[in-house]
Amino acid sequence: MSSEPIERRVSYLGDRLRATRCQLCGKEYFEIRDYCGNCGRKSYGKMDNIDLFFEKGKLELCTLVTEPTNKFTKLGSYVHGIISFHDGKIRVPGRLTDRIVKDGEIPDFSALEGREVVPRFRRRYAVDRNDVVPTISLAFTLADEYYPHQKYVVAPPQKEYDVPGIVGYGVYTSRFRIKEEGLERSVPFIDEDAVTAAVEAGKMALIHAGVDSKLVGKVYVGSESNPYAVKPIASKVAQVLKLGEEDGDVQGVDAVDTEFACKAATSMFKDAASLVNYPRAGINCAMVIGADNSQAAPRGCPGGELDLFVGFGGAAFIFGKHDVIAEVEGWYSCTSDTPDFWRRDGEAYPMHGGRFTGDPAYFKHVRKAASKLMEQLGLQASDISYFVAHQPNPQFPVRVARELGFKDEQFAVSLQVNRFGNTYSGSSPVGLAAVLDIAKPEERVLIASYGSGAGSDAYLLRTTSQIVDKRQRQKATVKFQAENPFVEYVDYPTYRRLKLGM
Amino acid sequence: MQNRPAVVAVGRTKFGEHYGKEPEKLIEEAWLAASRECDIERRDLEACYLSDCFLPITNKLGLEEGFLSELTELHAPMEVTRSVSAALLTACHAIQAGIYNIVLVGGIEKMTDRWSKIRDDLMLLEDPWSYYAGGTPEVNHELMLRAYIKKYGVTGENLDKLNIALAQVAVKNHANATKNPYAQFQRKITIDQVLNARKAARKPLGLYDFAPISDGASALILTSEAIAKKITDKPVYVLGCASATDYLNYSSREDLTRFIAVKIAMENALKMAGSSLRDIQVAELYDQSTVMEMVSLEDMGFCEAGTAWKNIYESCRDYKGYYEFNGRKLFTNMDGGLKANGNPLGATGGAQLFEVFKQLRGEAGERQVTIDAPLKCGCSLEMEGFGTKSYVCILGRE
Repeated sequence: MSSEPIERRVSYLGDRLRATRCQLCGKEYFEIRDYCGNCGRKSYGKMDNIDLFFEKGKLELCTLVTEPTNKFTKLGSYVHGIISFHDGKIRVPGRLTDRIVKDGEIPDFSALEGREVVPRFRRRYAVDRNDVVPTISLAFTLADEYYPHQKYVVAPPQKEYDVPGIVGYGVYTSRFRIKEEGLERSVPFIDEDAVTAAVEAGKMALIHAGVDSKLVGKVYVGSESNPYAVKPIASKVAQVLKLGEEDGDVQGVDAVDTEFACKAATSMFKDAASLVNYPRAGINCAMVIGADNSQAAPRGCPGGELDLFVGFGGAAFIFGKHDVIAEVEGWYSCTSDTPDFWRRDGEAYPMHGGRFTGDPAYFKHVRKAASKLMEQLGLQASDISYFVAHQPNPQFPVRVARELGFKDEQFAVSLQVNRFGNTYSGSSPVGLAAVLDIAKPEERVLIASYGSGAGSDAYLLRTTSQIVDKRQRQKATVKFQAENPFVEYVDYPTYRRLKLGM
Repeated sequence: MQNRPAVVAVGRTKFGEHYGKEPEKLIEEAWLAASRECDIERRDLEACYLSDCFLPITNKLGLEEGFLSELTELHAPMEVTRSVSAALLTACHAIQAGIYNIVLVGGIEKMTDRWSKIRDDLMLLEDPWSYYAGGTPEVNHELMLRAYIKKYGVTGENLDKLNIALAQVAVKNHANATKNPYAQFQRKITIDQVLNARKAARKPLGLYDFAPISDGASALILTSEAIAKKITDKPVYVLGCASATDYLNYSSREDLTRFIAVKIAMENALKMAGSSLRDIQVAELYDQSTVMEMVSLEDMGFCEAGTAWKNIYESCRDYKGYYEFNGRKLFTNMDGGLKANGNPLGATGGAQLFEVFKQLRGEAGERQVTIDAPLKCGCSLEMEGFGTKSYVCILGRE
């Protein structure tokens, strides 16, 4: 049972936590109001639309739910409570997410009450496989734990560049990890999926870039784990992040999902950069997101070998020509019809070609794209500060980097597969973010993604002085998330359960 | 109150799990019981006011009036509300306005027919945003308790007492229900059982703090004063009947430690009745949870805000059958309350009025409240949702 119009209305309000403030008396309302209950008719037309999406709230009261309603049973036990914003002027119900309440555990309600919380965009509850996936941001995490609260401050542009580039980025990985044989991999909480990760990464990119979301004229989302075969992730991202000019409940933005295995996002970097550079497009910024709840069959099943490597997470990059932190100096892409990894329509998990995924697939394409680009730009490996490759496992990126002539110190920073696993479309983008987190001005970064099927995109980026200025707005760096003390490790059965989702 | 209406007869079914009965069988049983009591025939009825909270959802019945018409072969005007108190209020208005002289007020609910979905449905009706945020029918009660404890700074030994006082509410209501043949749970429980259930649930309130899910029906016959005097020598008058409304979304309300709608409804009902709190001797409270009974005592004005738990604790240490507020006695939920009598939402209010009616007429059998003089005045509090609507009805013999 689901009603799409009701779903649309609840999501529209709940995803962004839309609210209203009366200009006359200052009273605030959760949801959208055309007039104020206090002030009546005279307040008509004097209600400001506000929202709580980027804000920090306070958990006022809480209790434990051990017997959820039917749609929430997959969450097990969880803490539910009332969250206030704006010093108590507005209060909403909420669920604490990213917490596994163990059997017999009694949360200390008094200790939780009064703590600051941040809204998280998550799945709302479980529905039938054929239904629209319901989402909401009435899920919260503690502000001083895994995800720090960061203010979203729109900064007026200071400098225009001749060459387009990255103006901001954000990385989103989950709080949970599985650790096996030295490899740590991020595991989504049960209410997360590729859609929620894409929105959260985009949110963090907006915060880091400090650009007004209405200036983003196009958003691309690359993923191979969209819960829908038909229905874009990008439309959710556009609506929740209010990309483009807002006109009623429609956003003036172009939004599209792209698919090319793990290079679905990186492929669009050049499109985004070109678009913002096209004088007649009138597009100031373009956002590219790569996010995946990387799929793998259970161990022992065909394709189950992937289950040792898959992670969860993604990264978002905003391209533009103002206040650029890394200019796009050039790119080279290559493609061949190589069936090394695929997932047939309607199948839950991908299959792969075993050793065929190596030399004839990953290595051939990454090597070609990277070396061709260096050749085009007349650069040697030694001219480049950092190299980032797609990271399907810990061995491939190291081998290809060395073959291309890079030394360990040039690619070590980008190697994140040991911390987060293979985040598919998010893999090389997360590696790139790790480099941008620490790069100094005027450094060259070479990134070479890989997408099965097969192809590779290589880009050469050159950092600017503004990379340092913007760093203060990036609390949730890749290192911060990798070494976070609030990371929670789960066992294999829990990992499979969480990954399967609601 | 002018042209005051009078209750001349009441009827009800046992509350509980009636898997074998259609909803219409239950309302028939309640109506026939009331009809038998006052010798009013179906054709004497000029209108019917029927209440059900969500029969259209649980039983896919959209025109409940139809089966009542079929059962009674009656084609009089009928209206459906969500609570018996709402039905009564509307019926009172019609009688006061002189439109009708004899009407049937009834309530019906069949919650066990869709047992597995009932909690989701209840929560969507009661507080949708809380539902979307993972709320259950229990959470708002527990959050209200947390808010109460914090606002009034109840800690340490006092907090223990407050928690025991809430347990005493359930224990008292269960004890009362042992004398009520219509009650869903006719057995005693202990304070330890209540406390252990909370421990097992790992949260502020447990199984025994909450009213159950029930099936049942209730009915009463309401007439004008003139007709009542002809029919019975013991009419019970509706002295005051008022309601008030609050936000659906509990978290948005100004004060989370009380039900403002209860306070307003009580004040207006008293004003209408021209009575004062002191006149109320028996009260049927809406104890969907033990917290609701506690907080309602404050909202209705029987004691100061933040103090009800002390009165309950002191009254129940050596329970004599009533709560004591400043030396005054108040007999509450003599039928077992929602906790033990049962809570078939749309019929619950009818059972409350049933009890007040029986008590005022001295016909409550084993449950009969005895004080020095005959009882004069009683009231019932009913809610829809988590305090979103509140109805107070004051009944009296004179």
